[in-house]
Amino acid sequence: MRPPRHPWRLTAVATVITAAFLLPVYWMVKTSLTRPDRIQTPTPQWVPTPVTGENYSTALGYEGLTRALLNSLVISCGVVALTLVLGVPLAYALARIRLRGSGAMVLALLVAQLPPAIVLAAPLFILERRAGLSDTYLGLIAADTTLTLPFTVIVLRPVLRSVPPELEEAALVDGCGLPGVLLRVVLPLMVPGVVAAAGLSFLIGWGEFLFGLTLAEGPDVQPVTVLLNAFIGQHGTSWGALMATATLISIPVVCVFAVFQRFIVGGLTAGSVRG
Amino acid sequence: MRQRLAPRRRSPRIRFLSPSVRRRRAGYLFCLPGMTFLALFLAYPLFYNVWTSVHDVELGQLLGGAERFNGLENYRAVLDDPAFWHSVRLSLIFTLGSLLLQFAIGFALALLFARPFPLGGLLRSLLMVAWLLPPVVSGTLFRWLLDAESGAYNALLTGVGLGALSHDWLTDPSTSMAGVIFANVWVGVPFNMLLLLVGLHTIDPELHEAAAVDGASAWQRFRHITLPLMRPVSVTVLLLGLVYTFKVFDIIFVMTGGGPVDATRVLPLYVYEVFFTFFRFGQGAAAGLLLLVVPLLAGVFYVRRLRREDEAPAGGAV
Repeated sequence: MRPPRHPWRLTAVATVITAAFLLPVYWMVKTSLTRPDRIQTPTPQWVPTPVTGENYSTALGYEGLTRALLNSLVISCGVVALTLVLGVPLAYALARIRLRGSGAMVLALLVAQLPPAIVLAAPLFILERRAGLSDTYLGLIAADTTLTLPFTVIVLRPVLRSVPPELEEAALVDGCGLPGVLLRVVLPLMVPGVVAAAGLSFLIGWGEFLFGLTLAEGPDVQPVTVLLNAFIGQHGTSWGALMATATLISIPVVCVFAVFQRFIVGGLTAGSVRG
Repeated sequence: MRQRLAPRRRSPRIRFLSPSVRRRRAGYLFCLPGMTFLALFLAYPLFYNVWTSVHDVELGQLLGGAERFNGLENYRAVLDDPAFWHSVRLSLIFTLGSLLLQFAIGFALALLFARPFPLGGLLRSLLMVAWLLPPVVSGTLFRWLLDAESGAYNALLTGVGLGALSHDWLTDPSTSMAGVIFANVWVGVPFNMLLLLVGLHTIDPELHEAAAVDGASAWQRFRHITLPLMRPVSVTVLLLGLVYTFKVFDIIFVMTGGGPVDATRVLPLYVYEVFFTFFRFGQGAAAGLLLLVVPLLAGVFYVRRLRREDEAPAGGAV
């Protein structure tokens, strides 16, 4: 594309579009900061006056919210850990070692991303119950990892492929064993890919809903997404508290993205377009 | 090399293996945990679903017991259910509507953001927030935005003098589908934009310059350079979009629960209802497998396209 003649004019246009597009997010935060008696008025306020934290204390006073936030944190960190432990070696082997059947495995990982979650949630509901895994963190972490693991390997494989093999060979010749090569040579080079995979896995684990809805019965392990949905039923039109809860759930998402933005966008495009 | 020179004597303790053989062994060892996990938690449940779909299983057999083989009975029950076909229709409307809108808007935004301008990168990243929010959050949010009494969109319509159009979007069966498509398009646009941007960046800027020198207008350049060169990326983006959109569950479940009555009960919600509300496990499993047909077909196309690109000598980025 040619450099535009009036770049700032484009900035202005893009800013207006972005602002209009993100209006829903503004509205969520705005509602959460508005006094409850001023939320449901015929002509809504565009700026909350006065700003209040009342909705947040109401929401945090709802039964189970802090517990559910904690559950979601445990689950999504567990998903990140399990995904990396299983995914990094797998991606390394598929990217850099000539293996019989590696083509079939890559194909299997691509296909693994196709089934809708509900098709998996149904049998897992029965199987995890029989195995005693339902209503446990482990059961939810494992279910979520079926979403993140195939994705992670597909994202990491091209990253690993770009590491020049000479580096590894040189280290091997120098008497570094294979584990040493992996730790000291390969792992540092794949940091950007691993960070992207970890960030995306966290976001998927944090936002996951259907497995939480079907595989967790009680509040002990229920993630916060399921609780937010339940709040809509229980606290119907307390939109201030509902939007406060929604904002609380969104904060970690925005933080993770802000920190890992570069990596995540890179990993995302590498994974989905290049396969 | 070393083992050739070494005396051919088999020692029980020291085995000389060439580095490449050792490496391959390590490779299989690396694959083992991940593939075992996927076999246990992904492949086995899916096969178990096939087994369930040909048995008479209901809540009583949740913990195992006398499941009776009943052949294709469950499939017949699903295919005879008018509610199933209603859901198929709704899924088609939802998927096509979301897909076309998010692709068109995403394409327009990609064209804008492909040009270099100050703060472009920042604004583009901000747009991604819509895609990253958990679907439950966006669902709750759009429920509030589309609220009849004090929702932001109705207020906006009134504000610009279109108050007559303000509406109880989600509780009216004739507009609830439009409401959930609207929310889903909002979520999908940034992702479409991002992938299409990658495609736009692979187009050689010299093509545009040469055409401009020859007097081609901006529209002509778009029509005869950008569009044809974006075709392969567009097909990929639409295929991925088809797979993602067809399985959307969370946002609809939170916004309408499939209602009012059954106006937004797309296939994934139908499967959920049969399985988790009525506990007809056999029928639910059968419906779930029928739900797999579309993503699998799209997946076959997608993988075949990837294969072809792998074989292409230049290995174009997309």
